[in-house]
Amino acid sequence: MSPDIFYVEDDQDFAFIMQYAVKEVNDDLTVSIAEDGNSALATLKRFAEEKHRPKLILLDLNLPGISGLDVLKRIKEIPFFKYVPVILFSTSDDVNDVRTSLDIGANAFLTKPTGYHNLIICVRSLYDFWFNQNRSIN
Amino acid sequence: MINSGNFVQQMFSADYGKYFALGIYMNLNNVDLSNCDREPIHIPGRIQSHGFLLAVDNESTLITYASENCIDFIAVELQMLLGKPFGQFEEIAGLNLKNGQLLQLIQLGGAKKDFDIINPYPIQIGNADYYMIISPTANYYLVEFEPATLEYDIQNQIGKSVSEILKGKGLRSLLQNTAKEIKDIIHYDRVMIYKFQEDGHGEVIAEVKNEDLDPFYGLHYPASDIPKQARALYKLNYTRIIADVNTISAPILTLEVEDPLDLTHSVLRAVSPIHIQYLRNMGVESSFSISLIAHGELWGLIACHNYSPKFIDYKAREGAKLIGKIVSSALEYREEEEQEQQSNIYQLAMTMISLHLGKDEEMASALTRQEYTIKDIAGASGAAVLFEDVISTVGETPDEIQLRELFVWLKATMHDAVYYTHRLPEVFPGAKAYKHLGSGIIAAMISKDMNEIAVWFRPEQITSINWAGNPDKPVVVSDNGLLNLSPRNSFEIFSELVENTAVKWTKTEISNVMKLREKIINTISKKAGEIRILNERLKRAYEELDTFSYTISHDLRTPLTSIKSYTELVIASNKSLDEQGKKMLGRVVAGADKMNFLINEILKLARVGRAEVEFVSLDMDKIVKDSTVEVISALNAGNVEVTFGDLPAISGSPVLISQIFTNLIGNAVKYSRSEDHPAVHIEGLKVEDEIIYKIQDNGIGIEIGHHDKVFELFKRMENVKDIEGTGVGLAIVKRIIEKHNARIWFESELKVGTIFYVAFKTN
Repeated sequence: MSPDIFYVEDDQDFAFIMQYAVKEVNDDLTVSIAEDGNSALATLKRFAEEKHRPKLILLDLNLPGISGLDVLKRIKEIPFFKYVPVILFSTSDDVNDVRTSLDIGANAFLTKPTGYHNLIICVRSLYDFWFNQNRSIN
Repeated sequence: MINSGNFVQQMFSADYGKYFALGIYMNLNNVDLSNCDREPIHIPGRIQSHGFLLAVDNESTLITYASENCIDFIAVELQMLLGKPFGQFEEIAGLNLKNGQLLQLIQLGGAKKDFDIINPYPIQIGNADYYMIISPTANYYLVEFEPATLEYDIQNQIGKSVSEILKGKGLRSLLQNTAKEIKDIIHYDRVMIYKFQEDGHGEVIAEVKNEDLDPFYGLHYPASDIPKQARALYKLNYTRIIADVNTISAPILTLEVEDPLDLTHSVLRAVSPIHIQYLRNMGVESSFSISLIAHGELWGLIACHNYSPKFIDYKAREGAKLIGKIVSSALEYREEEEQEQQSNIYQLAMTMISLHLGKDEEMASALTRQEYTIKDIAGASGAAVLFEDVISTVGETPDEIQLRELFVWLKATMHDAVYYTHRLPEVFPGAKAYKHLGSGIIAAMISKDMNEIAVWFRPEQITSINWAGNPDKPVVVSDNGLLNLSPRNSFEIFSELVENTAVKWTKTEISNVMKLREKIINTISKKAGEIRILNERLKRAYEELDTFSYTISHDLRTPLTSIKSYTELVIASNKSLDEQGKKMLGRVVAGADKMNFLINEILKLARVGRAEVEFVSLDMDKIVKDSTVEVISALNAGNVEVTFGDLPAISGSPVLISQIFTNLIGNAVKYSRSEDHPAVHIEGLKVEDEIIYKIQDNGIGIEIGHHDKVFELFKRMENVKDIEGTGVGLAIVKRIIEKHNARIWFESELKVGTIFYVAFKTN
């Protein structure tokens, strides 16, 4: 089964909170977490082989091992995920990080909100935009 | 200073009356105003008449010259002597000696080339005692006879005198002792030590005299009183006696006509009638002088006057000559010793100053505030240093205003690195006011660009010179209209006021100043290098600090987010939590928010430090208005009326410049929004090469005491405590301003309002 949201995040706390936030937005939404770039790519390759396509990929920028930007590049090289929106999700709001991510092919750049409530707001708007209003994209 | 007159006056001053016992024969027919320096004074034809002279041809041994006055001593007609062999002189003169005995002496001395062992040779003429004194010339032997008058052996006295003289520790006492001992040996009325100064004029620097006489001590005599040829003779003949100015000199006669006789070494050589007159004018009847030679040059004279005729025995003269030689060598030694002492002090001062310069000391302190200061390297009475626009002085110097004026003049005048004068008020009239402090200066330009200079001062030294007679007395015009050469007959003290003049700087002093200047410059460039290195380090430290701040704030955000998120999650999902618990956890969230806000501010500040500014032309109308909209909406301050004037373009980083305006407009809005009619006005004006933006509000204002603190990090004023803020905003603004080489300042009045100005360079 492919999850609705594939989330690459090394911070366990953030990943934990995210799972709550996603359930809070919509109890039916599923989220799958990868803890670093390599395992993320391995999982995604398996998904591609099994023709499982997540509806949205959230990608942290600062990852141990290969960086978020490299992971982004590699995802974009897999034709199967060509139309899956990849959203960079980082504590950084550095202009250069934003620009580079968009150049490489990120569909959006989100600065991680602080706090659970803000996260819910953030996830809800993601859900509304990418799952409801833009169904056609998927 | 001594001879400021015209040529004729100068020639007159060279009045042939040598003040001292210079006796030289001159053929006055040949003397005119243009040839006095070339006068052939060593070819005279007369001798003083207290003795007689023969000249013996050194090949034929015939008596070729004889003084006319021989007859007064040996009762022989001159015709009986001239052309006769000297070997027969004993018989001709009726001496109680065998023929050829005296000739033998001449031949002995001639063979040994030394007559000092023979001179003086005692002989008897009749019942009287005489000395025979032989001196060789190129072709002849001069054989002179003079009375032997000394009745005791003078050797012992000379020995005692020498040890008395050498007891003097300093130069002055050495010379004073010399005068005293010479007077005791020759019993003249007055004995003086006369020193030639640098420019050739002389000064009496020691004197022993009979009590009834007026002192000559301290008097100056023009250089022309003793002309060049006379000085040359003083170096050849160490003593010279003029036995009696009132006797008539005796001519030397010869059968030869073509060959003039060289009387350079004659002890009887006659005296110029003008010099005789000169001495007479002074009332002197006998004169005696002893040369003082130091380092091969005529240093001075021991000049002796007697006011009645007084002959001095040859042996006493020789004793005086010996004393002269001993004093001469002592002079050399003492002068060297004193110079050495002085140069040791210079050397020590130089070393000590270098040491302090070498340490990491403040320049002015190293130069002027240590045990040895710069004034000690050049024998100055004061010194001043202008460094980094601060004047430091040591010793006696003009005041600060006078110094500043002098520095300005020096800066305009100096072409070389070092300038010196001993007559500053003459070249720089402004210095007249402090001539008593600085008639002499040495200036060393340290840096013309930086306006840094060091100056050494010496006071006006001689306020008056007492000349023995007017040195510039005009030539007397005689009845026939010709310029008349006449020795001066007035020795009335003539005081010449010499103003605006200090003791001259010596070569050592000037070279010391040059050396010190080198050292100062080396120190400065070394320090400049050190400062550059420090500056680099500081820059690196700043960069590291920025990186550190950035990293730490960044890393802090993650756990902070966890704290907040978990707390909110607990509040939202934990059903067993009561109201009290929720409220407390709410405080945790608020704390985390506040901390997060601060961290973000620091991040912004750090980011400015890390940012490289790329200058692009900015549409200020857009930036200012966008910032305003952002501020108004963020602060929810729709009640504030914001107006705009001209908003001209500037160049800079769009992100950073936006930050400046967001901050400044933010402050203006924040601190005025509670007023009745809050109004903020923003406009830019071009003033010269800058565009000055002003952001004006009518808010609460900034207290004057806090004006210098507003740009400091985390500083917030008392009156804004109730208004939200971190104290980072203006610190960020200031850093951005610095990055743009712009300027920021403000005017403010409590409860009236504040205007911030930001000036950007247009180029």
